[in-house]
Amino acid sequence: MNDSISAKRGAQDAGDKLLAEHSSKDPFSAAFKATRMPMIITDPRQYDNPIIFSNKAFSDLTGYPADELVGRNCRFLQGPETDPAAVQKIREAIRDQRSIAIDIVNHRKDGSTFWNALFISPVFDDQGDPLYYFASQLDFTDDKTLEMQSASARRRAEAEVAARTAELTQALEAKTTLVHEVDHRVKNNLLTIASIVKLKARKTRDETVRHTLLSVLNRVEALSTVQRKLFMSNDVGRFDVADFARDHVVDLVGSLGRDDIRITMDLSPVLVPAAKASPLSLIVNELIGDAVRRGLSVGGGEIHLVVNRPNGHFIIEVRDTADPVDVDEEDNEFGRLMLETCCRQVEAEIEREVEGRRTTVRIILPLDS
Amino acid sequence: MIVEDEALLALELEEEVEAAGHSVIGQAMNRKKALAILEGQIPEFAFVDVHLTDGPTGLEVGRHLADRGIPYVFITGNLKRIPEDFVGAIGVIEKPYTMNGLKNALEYIARLLRGDIGLSVPPSIIVAPPAP
Repeated sequence: MNDSISAKRGAQDAGDKLLAEHSSKDPFSAAFKATRMPMIITDPRQYDNPIIFSNKAFSDLTGYPADELVGRNCRFLQGPETDPAAVQKIREAIRDQRSIAIDIVNHRKDGSTFWNALFISPVFDDQGDPLYYFASQLDFTDDKTLEMQSASARRRAEAEVAARTAELTQALEAKTTLVHEVDHRVKNNLLTIASIVKLKARKTRDETVRHTLLSVLNRVEALSTVQRKLFMSNDVGRFDVADFARDHVVDLVGSLGRDDIRITMDLSPVLVPAAKASPLSLIVNELIGDAVRRGLSVGGGEIHLVVNRPNGHFIIEVRDTADPVDVDEEDNEFGRLMLETCCRQVEAEIEREVEGRRTTVRIILPLDS
Repeated sequence: MIVEDEALLALELEEEVEAAGHSVIGQAMNRKKALAILEGQIPEFAFVDVHLTDGPTGLEVGRHLADRGIPYVFITGNLKRIPEDFVGAIGVIEKPYTMNGLKNALEYIARLLRGDIGLSVPPSIIVAPPAP
């Protein structure tokens, strides 16, 4: 107890001595006392580096009156909430006699805490030994709270984003699975419809019925080929009319089993939106079917297929050179109806030229088709 | 042999194969039935759907056929299901195939098995990449 009293007296004396060196009119001294910045001065030459002077702002901040501060080491501001690592850094700075700026949680007299932007700086004498330590405090609890709130808000936002991303990924997977399932079913159903029509055509004894069923089958198959090619392409939403036309003419002519039909082609890729794939494939189907019906299937000949997009137009053209044969009028009319209706669907114009054995049918679409 | 889980498609395929002058020794809708048929008989050729009533077991059936040296094609609506090496299949006929497409594919297969060379591949069949 005596030690503590004498230590306090020593610190008080040092503080008085310091004050005596500075008259009350000394502007630095006046500024130190009056500033709103909490400040203290400690004396490292005394045991345990006690506070020898504190200003009013420091008392206001910590809740300790000046006479409870003098003679004590500042560590009483530390408490259970204080980070020991920060305390260690302060200790090292004092030991090494250098300045330190550090953020630390301190405790007030009433036990409440505040975030303290602490700055400690030694004052040296002429010999270079530390004479005083000067410490300023800044309560930035409000800033820190905001910062922590924003960090916590950021973490919440990040968690929310992660959760949403997981949901979207899941939804996308579900959608992909669904698209595959629907695609599989559509393909199977189209093939089943075709198989039923084919079976009936095969079983019927009536040639007209068989002929009619195969005519229906032909159109159903054009549509099922669209479904096959639509999903096969990497760009699911697009359909290449030229690719369809090439396969179609090769398949149809190949199935006739004649080697006296010569196919020539002038094709460049023409991609159209999925919605136009069906009418366009039916148009190609009618053009090629018509050419084959009018003579190629009976006496052979030549068929020239054009799908390209010269100067601002999209052209589908089928030119056949063959000896014309009589065509079933009903087939002809129905084929024409299909062609005209599908052309109306895509706002296309039809041009037809006949020169001797050669017939050219040209479909012209506006480019945005 | 026809391995296909849709009975109507299998029936129609059988009719088409027979119309082309061949005969079908058996139809299977799953892996077990397919392997059972192969216990007793050796077909000259097989059509194998990838997705059967017991799952995507067509690939296994294909591997079994390849091991026994029986030529075959896959028939499927989902090309992505087929491994890059085609599991030893000659090729893939993609669903939905057309009547003409199937006819041309059958003709191509028949000539290939007869040993004809320099055949042009019809658009309706995707042939396997050459073995490395």
